[in-house]
Formats: sequence, C-alpha cells, structure tokens
Amino acid sequence: MTLSPDLVTRFSAELRGFGSSLPDDFARAAEAVAEVLTPEEVERWAQSGVDLANHSLRSWEAAAEYFRASPDMARRVGFAGLQHWVDVSTTLSARSSLIAAAFLKSSPSALDVLSAHELDAWSQQGDRLCRGNWKSIALAALYFQTSPALFQSLSLEAVGRLVDIIDQLTERSYELATTCLENSAPIFAGLHAADREPFLRFARAVTRASWADTRLYFERGPRLIEAVDASQRATFLDLASRVTMAVGRQGFPLFADAATALAEVETADHAELLGFATRLAPGSPQAAMEFLKSAPFVRTRLTADQMQRWAETGAEILTVEHNAEGSEAFFRLESTRAEEMMRTLSARVELTSVNGMLRMYAKALSGEQVSVQSTESLVDKNIGWMSEASATTEGTAIYLPPFVNTFEEQAANFQVYKVFTTHQTARIEFGSFGYRWAEPGVHAPVTVPDREARRAEAPITVAVAEGESEPKVRGEAATAIQRYFNLFADRPLIGGLFTVVEDTRIDAWVSREYGGIRRWLRRLQSYEADHRPEVRTMGLRQGFVENLLRVSLARPETVRWPTTLQEYLLRGIAALKVIEQPGATVQDSAEVAAAIYDIIVSLPNIVADLPEGDWVAPDEDMISIAPGMPSGGGEGEPGMMPNGEEVAFENPPQPEFRGDFKPELVQLLMKLKLQQQGQQQDGVNSPLTKEQLMELLENSAEITISEWAEGDLASSLGMFLSNLEKEAGTPAGDPKQKGEGDTGDQPGGGDGSDDEDLPMRIDYFYYDEWDFRAADYRPRWTRVGERLLDEGDDDFYEETLRKYHGLVMETRRQFELMRPESFRKIKKLEDGHELELDDAIEFHVDKRAGVGPIARIYSRRNKVERDVAVAFLLDMSASTDEEIEKQRQKYDKDDDDDFDGDPRKYFQWLAQRRARQAIEPPKRIIDLEKESTVLVVEALEAIGDSYGIFGFSGYGRENVEFHVIKDLDEAFDDRVRRRISKIEPIRSTRMGPAIRHTIHKLNEYDAKVKILILVSDGRPQDHGYGRDRTEKEYAVHDTKQALVEAKRDGITPFLITVDKEGHDYLKQMCDDIGYEVVDNIDSLPRRLPTLYRHLAAE
Amino acid sequence: MTTTEQHSGFKQIQVEDFRITEEPFYLPISDEIELFETAYAQKVPVLLKGPTGSGKTRFVEYMSWKLHQHIGNVEAEGVPLITVACHEDLTASDLVGRYLLEGDDTRWIDGPITRAVKVGAICYLDEIVEARKDTTVLIHPLTDYRRLLPIDKRGELLESADGFLLVMSYNPGYQSALKDLKHSTRQRFMAIEFDYPPRDQEAEIIHRESGVDRAVAQELAKLAEKVRNLKEHGLAEGVSTRLLVYTGKLIAHGIRPRRACQTAIVWALTDDIEVQRSIEEVVTSIFDE
Ligand SMILES: Nc1ncnc2c1ncn2[C@@H]1O[C@H](COP(=O)(O)OP(=O)(O)OP(=O)(O)O)[C@@H](O)[C@H]1O
Ligand SMILES: [Mg+2]
Repeated sequence: MTLSPDLVTRFSAELRGFGSSLPDDFARAAEAVAEVLTPEEVERWAQSGVDLANHSLRSWEAAAEYFRASPDMARRVGFAGLQHWVDVSTTLSARSSLIAAAFLKSSPSALDVLSAHELDAWSQQGDRLCRGNWKSIALAALYFQTSPALFQSLSLEAVGRLVDIIDQLTERSYELATTCLENSAPIFAGLHAADREPFLRFARAVTRASWADTRLYFERGPRLIEAVDASQRATFLDLASRVTMAVGRQGFPLFADAATALAEVETADHAELLGFATRLAPGSPQAAMEFLKSAPFVRTRLTADQMQRWAETGAEILTVEHNAEGSEAFFRLESTRAEEMMRTLSARVELTSVNGMLRMYAKALSGEQVSVQSTESLVDKNIGWMSEASATTEGTAIYLPPFVNTFEEQAANFQVYKVFTTHQTARIEFGSFGYRWAEPGVHAPVTVPDREARRAEAPITVAVAEGESEPKVRGEAATAIQRYFNLFADRPLIGGLFTVVEDTRIDAWVSREYGGIRRWLRRLQSYEADHRPEVRTMGLRQGFVENLLRVSLARPETVRWPTTLQEYLLRGIAALKVIEQPGATVQDSAEVAAAIYDIIVSLPNIVADLPEGDWVAPDEDMISIAPGMPSGGGEGEPGMMPNGEEVAFENPPQPEFRGDFKPELVQLLMKLKLQQQGQQQDGVNSPLTKEQLMELLENSAEITISEWAEGDLASSLGMFLSNLEKEAGTPAGDPKQKGEGDTGDQPGGGDGSDDEDLPMRIDYFYYDEWDFRAADYRPRWTRVGERLLDEGDDDFYEETLRKYHGLVMETRRQFELMRPESFRKIKKLEDGHELELDDAIEFHVDKRAGVGPIARIYSRRNKVERDVAVAFLLDMSASTDEEIEKQRQKYDKDDDDDFDGDPRKYFQWLAQRRARQAIEPPKRIIDLEKESTVLVVEALEAIGDSYGIFGFSGYGRENVEFHVIKDLDEAFDDRVRRRISKIEPIRSTRMGPAIRHTIHKLNEYDAKVKILILVSDGRPQDHGYGRDRTEKEYAVHDTKQALVEAKRDGITPFLITVDKEGHDYLKQMCDDIGYEVVDNIDSLPRRLPTLYRHLAAE
Repeated sequence: MTTTEQHSGFKQIQVEDFRITEEPFYLPISDEIELFETAYAQKVPVLLKGPTGSGKTRFVEYMSWKLHQHIGNVEAEGVPLITVACHEDLTASDLVGRYLLEGDDTRWIDGPITRAVKVGAICYLDEIVEARKDTTVLIHPLTDYRRLLPIDKRGELLESADGFLLVMSYNPGYQSALKDLKHSTRQRFMAIEFDYPPRDQEAEIIHRESGVDRAVAQELAKLAEKVRNLKEHGLAEGVSTRLLVYTGKLIAHGIRPRRACQTAIVWALTDDIEVQRSIEEVVTSIFDE
C-alpha cells in the first residue's frame, strides 16, 4: 500500500507547532504504518495522534511516543487494536502525559508477553500508582518503564501484587517505593521461577509488618535465600511469610538470621530442617525460626539423628505442654533442658564439663599442684604454643583442647580426654622436662660430653641441612636441654626425634603403671596409626621418623621402607625399643634420640622413587627385634641408595593424644621461674642473660618465629620474652580456683602490704537464671563479679555507734540473752553436776525391785558450740537512694487520708516533717541499711556467730556486682568498718544472681545452721530483667526461684524490706519464705533478736 | 586367771587379764620399735601421732606382745594392754573409778587407768584429744617423774607398778584449733610419728593382712599413693592402710578390683560426687577390670 504524500503534508503542518521532531516522527511512522493499514485507517490513525498531541499542554511528548511505537504496534494488534491503544493512552494522558508517554513507549515490548486485551489491566495498574502529585507520576511512569522487564519473570497478576506493595510503601516513602520498584525487575529475573511468587508473598508480609524492612529485604533477600537449597527456597519463604504475619516486625530479622544459619548447614539437610520448622510454625512461628537459627550450632554437636531427637523434645514442650515460650527458649538454647539434653545426646565431650574432675585426676597421678585448662588460654598467653587442637603442658598446668569429638560415643570421647590427661600428667610424673646434662640414664651410655667435644673441634662441617651459610658461634646454653639440642646441626630433626623417643618412653611407662588405661591407650594408638600420612611421598629422613612413630604406636606392621635400606631402620627400631624397657629415664631418651639421629643423617632426605615391590612391609625380624643401642660409628657403607629428589626435612605430624611437646620452652620457663624466686639452680650456668634467651628463642625448633612475629623480629622476640617472664612470675596452679580447696599457697612474700598496689581483683562466677515463662533455667545466663568493697573512712561506724548508743546496748543485751539457750542439759548420767531427783527416785524403786543396777541419776549442762552462719545481702541499687520520708509521705497519703478532710491536721503534719528535716537530713533507704548493718555487727560480735556482709548491684546480666564487705570467715576489723561506710547506691537490682552467689558462699562454708538475710527496697529491677523496663514478673519469679534454691540447699532465707509498697511483690515472692517490712530503724533492734532467734533455732 | 566361759561361745575376761598371746603382724616402717622399747625401759610416756588407720593400735598391740620377755615381775604371758577409747563425755571417774551403790552400801570399782597402774600395764588412751580438757589433766602426775595416780574420792595416792606406761594416740589431721592438746599435756610425752607406709611396705602389709596376691597388693598401694595426693585438695584425709586391707580382702574373696575399690575406697572416703569420680578414674586407670 502506498502513502499519499498529501496526508503527510497535511498532518505535518498540523504538528509543526509542537516539538521540533514531532513532524519527522510522524512522517517516519506514517510510512511504516501505511504498509499495514488501509489509507482510511492511516488517516484515522494520524488524526488520533494529532488529537493526542493537542490533548494537553505537554501531551505532544506522548504523541511522539505514539508515533514511534505505532509501526510495531500496528503489526502486533492491527487497526482495531491501535484504536483501543490510543484510547487508553489518552485516558492516561489525562493524568499525565509523562505516564502516557511511558505507557506508549513500553507497549510494544510489553506485548511480547501480554496479549492485546490485557493492555487495560496493565494500564490500570500503573494508573493506580498515580495520585496526582509529581512523585506519584514519576513512580507510575517508572512502573510502565520497567513493566516489560517485570513481565519477563512475573505474570500480570503477580505484577499487580507487586504494585500493591509499592503502593503501600508510597504511603510512607516515595523514595523507598521508587527504589524497590527500580530493583524489582533484576531481582525477580535473578530468582528461580518457582521462588518468585513466594518471594513476592513474603515481600508483602514484610511490608505489612514493617514497611522499612522492605528495602532491606529487596537488597539482601535474594542473596540470603541463595544459600538455601534450591528445592527448599519456596518452603522457606512461605514459612517466613507465615512467621512474619504472626510476629510482625520481628519477622524480617528472624528470616535473615534463619537464612544465615541455613547457609552454615549442609544443603542436603535443609529439607529436613525446614520440614521440622514448618511443623512448629502453627504452634509457635517464633520457635520455628529459633530452631533454624540454632541448627548450625546444634549440628556441630549432634548427628542428624540425635538432633532430631533433641528437636522432638522441644516440639513436645510446644504440643504437649502447650508452652510456647518454653519451646522458644528451648530452641533459642536459652534453656537448661535444651542444653542438658544436648549434652546427654551428644557424643562430644566439653572440657568445661570434665575439667574439675580431670584436674583432681591429674593431681592424684602426679602429686603436683597441676591445673587443667583449655588450650585456648595457653595460646592466648603467646609464649610459644600455637595450636588449640593439641593437648600439652608447660610443666605446671595441663592444657586440653576445648572439646573432644573423635568417636561416636560420649564415653569413648571421655576416655580420649583421659588418655590426653594421663599422657600429659605422665610427662610431669615421669620427668620429661627433667633432663640434666651428661647424667647417666638406666639403659644407654652417656655420649653427650664426647659429642660436645667433637663438635667444638669441627663446629661448621655439620651444617648441611641448615640454610645458614655463616656459622654462628653459639653462646653458652641457657638450659640443659638446649645444650643437648645444640649438639646437633639439624635442630628440627633432633627435636622431632627426641619427641618421638620421649613420647614412646612415656607411653611405655603409662602402660606399665596404669594397667587400666592401657586398653584405651592402645585404641588411640591404633586409631592414630590408621590415620598416618603416606610414607612413600616423604623424604627418607622424614619417612624414617614416621616409621619410628608407627612402631611406637605399637603398630609395626604399618611400617613402609625401601628394602635396600632395611638395615638402617632395623637399627633405629632396636634403639627405640631400648626406651620401652622398664626404668628408662629422660636421660636414656636423649641418648637414644642422639643415636638414631646419627643413623638418619647418614641418609639423604630424598623422596625414593621405587617400584611397589621395593618397599618392605615389616617381617618377623622387624617386629620381634630386640632392644639394642647401635654399635658406635658402625654406619657402614650406605647400601644401594635409591634415586630421588632431595626435599627439605619436615617432622611428620604428632599423634593427637600425645599433643605438643616443647621441652626447651618448659625448661626455660622453669628456669625463669626459679630465677624470679631468687633461687639458684645447680647445673647449667645461671642467671640467664638477655642474649642467651634471645639465642635460645632464635634457634629453638619449638617455636616457629614466622608464625607470630610480625615485622621487626627483635621487638617481637622481646615481646615474646616478656610474655615468658610474666608467665614465669605467675604462681603455679589454677588462677581461678582460689579458695576452692587449693589453699592459696603462693610462693614469695605475700604480706598484706603488697595487696594495696594490686588492681582490684574480681572473681567471676556464672549462674543460671529462671525464666518463668519457659519454666526452665537459662543456663549460665548471669555473670557475678565478686570483689572487695572499697574502704571509706572510720567515722561513719563510730558516728553511728554514738548516735544509737542506747539502741546498740539494747540490741546487744537482747542478743546476749540468747546465749544460755545454747547450753544443753544431758540427763541419765552416772556422774554429773546435779542430781536429777526424778531419776534418783526411779532408781531406788528399780533397785528395790531388783533391776537397774547402775545409778544413772545425774545430769550435766554441756556447752553446745553455736554453729550458725548468717549472710547479709544488702541491696545497693540506685533506688535505695530514695528518701524514706518521701516514701512514708507517699503511703501516708495513700493509706490514711485522714487529713484530707481536715487541712489543719495536714499542715500540722507538714510542719512536723519540716522541723524533723531541719534537724537532720532526710534519711535514705541505704542509710537505714548501713545503720542496721552496724547494729547487727555489734550484736553478732556479742553472740559469736559467723556472719558475712555483702552488697550487690550492677547493670545487665553480664555485670552483676557482688561487693564483699565482710566475708564469712573474715574477722571483724577496721577494714570492715571502713568498708561499711562505703556502702552506697550504685546501679540496678538483679537479685537472683546475687542470692545465688550468696548461696554458693554459704554452701562452701561449714556450719550447721545457715541463714541468708536479704535487705532491700523490695524492687528487683535490671536491664533485661524482664520483657521490658516496666515488667516486674520475670524479676520477681527469678528472685523467688533463687530463694527456693536457698531452701533446697538447707539455707533459711529471710527478707527484710524497707519499702511498704514493695509489700505486694514480697508477698508474691515469699509465700513460704519469711519476710518483714521495716520502715524505721528504731524497730530493728526490737525485732532483730526475736527474728534471729527464730531463724537460728536448730 | 578369771576367765568365764559363756555358753554362747564368747569369752569374757577382766581387762588386766587380757594378754596378746599370738604375735600380731606388724611390719616395722622405721625405727619405731627401738624407740618404743627404749621409752618403755626408761618409763617415758609415748604419744603416737598419725592419721587414721596407719597402724598405731596395731603397733601398741605388737609392742605389748613383744615386751613381755623384758619384764621380770609379771607373768610370762606379756605386758597387759588396757585400751581406753576417749570421747567427749569421758570423765575423770570413767578413768579412775567410782563408787557404786550396792544394797545400802557402796562399792568402789577401779577405772581402767587405776587397773593399769596397779598391774603395770600399758595403758593406751586412743584419740586423746576427744577427751575433755579437765580429764586430760588427771594424767599429769602420772606422766612426770612422780608416776602417781591420785584417787580423790578415796583420798588415796597410787604409785605405778613397774611395767606401767601411758601411751596416747592422736590424729593431728582433722582436729580443729579448738581441739588441740594442751602444751602441758603434750610436753609430757615423747612422740612417734606414724604415716602411711611407703608403697612397697604398704603392699606387703596389704598382702599379708588381706591375703590378696602381691601384684594386686602392689596396685592397691600405688592407688593409695595417688589418692593421698588429693589430701587437702578435695579430700580431708587420704585413704588409710586399713581401708586398703579391707579392699584387698574383698578382692581376695572374688569381688572385682574396680568394684572393690569403689565400695571400700571411693565411697568410704568422700560424698562429694566430683571427687568420687576423680578417684574412680584413678581406679580405672590402674585396674583394668
Ligand atoms: N605397719 C603395719 N604392720 C602391719 N599392719 C599394719 C601396719 N600399718 C597398718 N596396718 C594395718 O592397718 C590396719 C589399721 O591399723 P590400726 O588400726 O593400727 O590404725 P590406727 O592408726 O590405730 O587408726 P585409728 O587412728 O583410726 O585408730 C591394721 O589393722 C593393719 O591391718
Ligand atoms: Mg587405732
């Protein structure tokens, strides 16, 4: 079909008034359109364009898009379609030509996906976003711009739901709505087809619950779910939607955490985890997410099966006990039940749970004050030990890895710990660190002096394996073992050999001495032997050491060695067997290692390139070879040396149960220790010089300098050295176990004057907390730091005594009256202080009757030692700063509204109060506590019972402060007096942990009757001690639980509160626990003795 | 001798007539026998110090048997041994004697110490610190050069017979400061210190006393050594030789070693669960069944 030139001219003229390009656009389009449409249709099409351009001020822009898109559209929808299209556009342009333009422009590509009749629905979606303001117009235009891309991944209907979300966001922020819309297309394109709808559903939930999180979701969501197994993403997203609908603004963070957690678990497990979570969701969506969040941690401890059993328990809390909070706490791992269950199910054994017992075990075996600690703490000290995975000792403590998970049963893993401990203890018990220069052993002749002499003659020639070209003249050795190691050119080789030999000796001793553990030692040896690296790829020297190791693991059949060199190995094994004989000492080990060293260095460290047949497995000869030292110098001609490439020597890895062995460092530490204690040791020259130390550290094969030295070597060494010196200065034994049986036997003068300079010492203790909603403890939830309270001045105490002189006397008298009760009368004695008339009469009657030949007619009063310990626990929280008067005023008004009707009475009262205040400053609760303390101290000193006074405060569960004013076994003196004056309001009131710590102290104390008296303002309150700041229930329940625990431990708890308002809390807390409200110090002395007598009654 | 044979098969004899007729097994640990013999000859009172079950009582019995050859004035059977277990309520009358009503009359009967003084016996006051302080003063004139026992109620003064010797035992371990011996009491005695024997000797004792074979006895002695390392670090007292002998007896009669140790050592020693477990681990390290 041809286009009439007239038409073009005509319409071009009409269009000339608009933008400059419009006539051209039209002309070009007309030509193309004419190919599809009839002339009349072209005519009408052109007219529609002109109409559109004329529609409003800027609608010519839409017209331009109309013309540009028309050729494509005409081909797609024909004339009728075009007509409809332009109608729709015109409507849109009524809103804004910008929107219409965007619509028109995007139409052809939108129609790639949409059918013609869907144009209306599509345009309406965009239209909906337009609210008339320019921001909304821009958004709607954006919508049309991006829709073709969106249609690539979402259906029209789904895009409609996206628009809903965007629309909802506009109510909050156009900026956010725009960003989300902009990003939508690439996001959905990036998702798997099946995940798109669920992603959208969750987006909707997030927007409803917390609109601001939508941005985060659009930003991070796709990457978060990428880590989830592809087949499970939809399930996960649907779960997240469901959770979010239930929990609201917590929804997105839970989702994000759960996704992160899933990323840490193998994807193969996702289906099962999500399946379980989906089961939990109806009962508690929160629990479902908490379960997912904890999954990676739980999985490190439990197998899939065990985890399932564990999770079922949590589910039962929900479904059977109907305790959603409990189940959530369970899955959040903030529940003792969850932890305990995990512990019993898990095969893994944690050091923390066996540490105390192993410590005593090690003490028993070695007879030394060894402590057992985690390898983590040794590595932290930075004194040369680098590995957290290997057990070790530095001579005074045994370091064990934080957990053992080698076998599948817990009992077996415990045995692993035991073998670890036994081996390290045996190093101490059988003297691995006690090498002395040139002292004879039991089985091997001493050769070290000769070696030293030889080495002095020819100092350089041996330096083959060492990279150093310039021979260094070595100074005098700092320790005997260093002097020994100095004899050898290849330090790593002799170090490795000495380790293998010495460990062999230790294993032999353990097997002989501890028949019961032999079986487990064998099992571990075997286990290790089965996990050794391949010998054939090692250099000969390394392979030699490896083979010795295998022999020492009692598995000689695993040895592999070139046939032609068998002689060498046989001599080595014979030497090694020397050390397994009874009585062998570390001196023997040194000689045996030296002898084997000689054999090994006659071999080149090449990787032997030999066919399979040229490697021997051990024969009878090798297995049954008798112990024997290699005959001196008999190296012989090296047999047929195989070909191969020379490699650098490296020690084969140590079996796990033997751990790290660093005799050089240990001897150095011991020496430093002696030096610091001012004791001189015989043997090698002392004291140590800095140069000597530096040389030792530089040459030692036991520390890999490169591993910890950064930058300047000298300064790193210096730092390292000062770490070592610091370590040598700290006394042996557990640092934290003070007073727990380990009588603080610190070496060196520890007299009182030193204490002053020390920084405040804080000992930390961990306690569970009771979560009443979950009906379970939150394990190790709180940390209590015990410290001495600072000392104030003496005045307060004296002042109080003076002020309350009369009261003090009265209290004392009252208490002294209690004393006679502590005498007990014993009757029916043959001899005694008094005659018991009744018994005497009875006796005579009996005698007449011919029975009762012994006259048990006397009685006697025996003094019974009072055996009472009482702990006073004072609330030092900020709320005790409150004035008592103010409080009284508060309830005075509340309680008796007497003067409401009578203003005169009120003014009278007011005047009285003012007068009182003028004389003395208003008294605060804390003052009452302090003054009562003075009274109580005076009274208790009179009666002689043991007592402790403690204060508590703090902030948050990690920082419960426990101040010791007077410890139970501390004598009352001036320092205590001064501490009392320092009692003052500090921070919050977390009562539970403070009570628990007091219980702990009382439990440690030996007394028949134990009492805990808590003095407070009756308002437990702390950060995080309840759901929010105002909630009291959680705190009250925990406090009550702590008091119940006290009772369970045979302690009588009693509460004294200074707050009348607190009355109600107290009642709830104390159903069967004694309490009393005191609002006036004057009433204390009257009450205390009665109260105390009552409590202390046996 | 005034022995009354009863029907039911037990023997009832007067304390001063009691003799140890068979040689008790006592394995000397150091020079304690020589010390005691000399003390006896020189009439120097002896204080046996040492932890429970370390052989103090056995030693006195053995010495009483051994010394009979050296005494000329008493019957050939040996030196009588009169033992008094001291306790809180022990009074002076309990030791010296008292009047009893008999019909309308009264009759005096001698207490154990009076009897010992009269017949020249070794009087062994076991766990002397348990006795009340006023009771302990009573022995003061007996234990210096005077060797006199005043009997207040009768207004008499008793001079000790030749073979009389006062021996006391005392376990310094678990006494509190409250219950310490007065210096004026302490310093009237020479002291022989007892401790648990070294491993080999203790093994020999266990073997001889319990009948368990030497190898097991050796392991038990080793175990004891290890457990004693825990004294004051979880345990108030180390395991006594006595308990080891009991354990040996159980094993000798068919109880498995681990089980025997558990009942006769672990559970006997402490109620603290953690300490129990630690000791059990030591046991299972030493015994393999
Ligand atoms: N040197 C020893 N020779 C032989 N047996 C001994 C020796 N030492 C201890 N025993 C054994 O130990 C057991 C306990 O000893 P004994 O009763 O003498 O202890 P003790 O020191 O008197 O204890 P306690 O202070 O508790 O009375 C004895 O029965 C005996 O079997
Ligand atoms: Mg005894």
